[in-house]
Amino acid sequence: MTDLHAVLFPVGVDLYAVPIERIEEVVVAPTLTRLVTAPSHVLGLFNLRGQIVPLIDAASLLGLGSVEPAAFVVVLQSRQGLIGLAVTDLPERVILGAPVGTSELAGTVGCFLVRNRVAVLLEPDSLLAGALLDGERPRSGQRAARRPSAQLDSARTGDTVARGSAR
Amino acid sequence: MSGLDLAQVRELFAQEAEVRLAHLDQLLLQLEKTGGDESLLRSVFRELHTIKGSSAVAGLDEVSRVAHELEELVDDVRTGRQLVTPEIIDTLLAGADRLGQVIVASQGTTTGSQLAAVDRPELTRERIQAGAENSPVAPAVRDSAGVVMVPMERLDELVRLIGESASAHLRVGRMLTEKFGVDATLNTEFNDLSRTLNQLQDRAMRTRMVPLATITDRLQRAVRDLARTQGKTINWDVRGTDTELDRGVLVQLSDTLLHLVRNAVDHGIESSAQRAADGKPAQSTIRLHAMQLGSEVIIAVTDDGSGIDSGKVKEQAERQGIDTGGMNEEEMLNLIFTAGFSTAAEVTDVSGRGIGLDVVRASVEAAHGRVEVRSKPGVGTEFRIIVPITLAVLRCLLVEAGGQRFALPFHRVVLSQRFDPASQTSAEGRSVLLVEGRPVPVSTLAGTVGLPAAGQSTGPIVVLADTARRHGFQVDRLVGQRDVVVKGLNGLLAHLPAVAGASVEPDGSVLLVLDPPGLIHRAHRLDRGRAPRVQDAPPATTRQRILVVDDALTIRELQRNILERAGFEVRVAVDGTDALLKLAEEASELILTDIEMPRMDGFELTEAVRAHPSFANIPVLILSSRASEADRRRGLDAGADGYILKSGFDEGSLLIAVNRLIGGRA
Repeated sequence: MTDLHAVLFPVGVDLYAVPIERIEEVVVAPTLTRLVTAPSHVLGLFNLRGQIVPLIDAASLLGLGSVEPAAFVVVLQSRQGLIGLAVTDLPERVILGAPVGTSELAGTVGCFLVRNRVAVLLEPDSLLAGALLDGERPRSGQRAARRPSAQLDSARTGDTVARGSAR
Repeated sequence: MSGLDLAQVRELFAQEAEVRLAHLDQLLLQLEKTGGDESLLRSVFRELHTIKGSSAVAGLDEVSRVAHELEELVDDVRTGRQLVTPEIIDTLLAGADRLGQVIVASQGTTTGSQLAAVDRPELTRERIQAGAENSPVAPAVRDSAGVVMVPMERLDELVRLIGESASAHLRVGRMLTEKFGVDATLNTEFNDLSRTLNQLQDRAMRTRMVPLATITDRLQRAVRDLARTQGKTINWDVRGTDTELDRGVLVQLSDTLLHLVRNAVDHGIESSAQRAADGKPAQSTIRLHAMQLGSEVIIAVTDDGSGIDSGKVKEQAERQGIDTGGMNEEEMLNLIFTAGFSTAAEVTDVSGRGIGLDVVRASVEAAHGRVEVRSKPGVGTEFRIIVPITLAVLRCLLVEAGGQRFALPFHRVVLSQRFDPASQTSAEGRSVLLVEGRPVPVSTLAGTVGLPAAGQSTGPIVVLADTARRHGFQVDRLVGQRDVVVKGLNGLLAHLPAVAGASVEPDGSVLLVLDPPGLIHRAHRLDRGRAPRVQDAPPATTRQRILVVDDALTIRELQRNILERAGFEVRVAVDGTDALLKLAEEASELILTDIEMPRMDGFELTEAVRAHPSFANIPVLILSSRASEADRRRGLDAGADGYILKSGFDEGSLLIAVNRLIGGRA
């Protein structure tokens, strides 16, 4: 398998990667407009030079709770148009070698080793297929629970460790 | 601007046909797999019918003939004279291939007009004359001015960039004030630039508009050719061709208008003999009148023929199992827009196969418009298409609710008024406002869209209307009105029923445009004390379950088939009582029910479901052959969330209705 050029970014305490050809650009956290009636993993809409792009909480889409307010946004091309993924810190470009393990969550395609940390490669289309949605997903309760996400983070750390050791 | 010449028409047709033939192949293969699925047959039929119609306009008689033969064959299948066998599919596929070949062959002839002339000399000559007649000096003048064809994406890009420049300009102004204490609006240069940018934006929007004249020649040609083959003398009267429409809207309408004028010639206008017998002038008239009215364009197609025979409509409706009792004249006339409906006595080459008017309605609605019909026996028929000038710009009322700004499309706003405790009362446990002496329920906009209310309950009230009902929404304040450039949301979010789209504000922020019918629906559901289906929503990975209730096996299985293919888990029940038993065994995310059933009918079932503590949140969709407004109302009053007609039912409309209620994961 040839080396894979990817963009690596942290979401909470996890590291994720997306093939570089799917990435349109990376921007600093934009001003968001809340998209009322939308599922909770849609954090809002933002204006990317005149285009209206939804910002998605990848962690919540993967079923890993949700993330602190986004610091950066990775803008992806998807079949439906541009989509922003909220990430916690500045993404970087990496070359992924051979996969070191499989991954379990829908929308992911394997684990890779980057500087002794495990990065999970995302497959944007299948990840976003999980977001093909109607309006009413759990919201009221979960929205309130979003901000104090410390417990969620620690829960997720456990999860990462579990997956790391599983391979 | 004379219309396209024949070569261009054929080229366009070839492009269209390529897409349609590919789709046709797909449909046929699907048909082979599923057997005689009715909606599938109808789609096959529609494709063939459209190819036939378009090829006739393009003067490709051979194509038209082949399409007609295939159509006959499909009709045999549709009416049950012929079973779906592999042989039949073979024949149809081979026929589709032949269509493709004939079309490709005809493409070759368009380059040399001599070849076309050899083909059908008399027709071609006639066309050339027709072209000469209605192409006076104007086109030459326009040509000298130069016209450039520009792809739509480039224009969209242009509009987007201009918007972006305008907001950058505003930001510069703000920065000047904040950093240097300079009031930019006092600076002439700055103001000039803002004026120029505004004009630029306005002009850029206008580049997407084209006059109706771009399609009227094609219509005239169709009328002329058809009239000749039928020996009718028709005076084509067209007015308002300079009326401008968004190109997207116009493209969507051009086939529709073609359908309507062909219909008018074919069975609107009587034969010459009949006209003579009725004492009408031999020359009949078909009018195409267009005009702009506010933000809408009205296009009327009128003929002075025999009018629509409402007796025949009634007869045909009843034959199709539609209960016409309790319908008024207008509702009855509107039945002609249902699928599979035709009052033409015999099948002709042109129309009269019960295909067309349902397509007309569907495509007009796709352009956010509506179609109306008026008819007087012996005097004539008028079809009116009313569409917004553009899908891109909507006049909106801007409001603030729950701390967020929203745009409400103006054409849905009945009125807005200050909060007045005196006009506010309560009925059936919810607040009600008296508007023109009638009670209108009131909700807070913030609550309806799931935002925390701002606390004050004295904000102004905006009354919105959909086709059936009115609803008042209390907002924090009214901000003003504005033309909003609406953009659709990303496909991932296309299913949000209360959101019509979004727009970029001059300051660069994003403004949500709400969809009043969706809002009203949502408010009604919340009003009934139903929390938005939260707790009982299944995890995203499980399939959503639908309970199909119908006493007719065929309908049940048809629905099961469609829904299962769309990825739903389907259970069936044979009547209301059975349905309640099935629900007690296992919950469902949606109930799809017929009305007329033994033991317990659909109305009773809906009421029972609403009254039951653990079922009350399940959306109910009624699918019935009862087409009267009274029945529809009764269904909705019983607590149903939607009402669709069996006559207008096909795979697409069913899935749209289902997805609207429980969200699509097809």
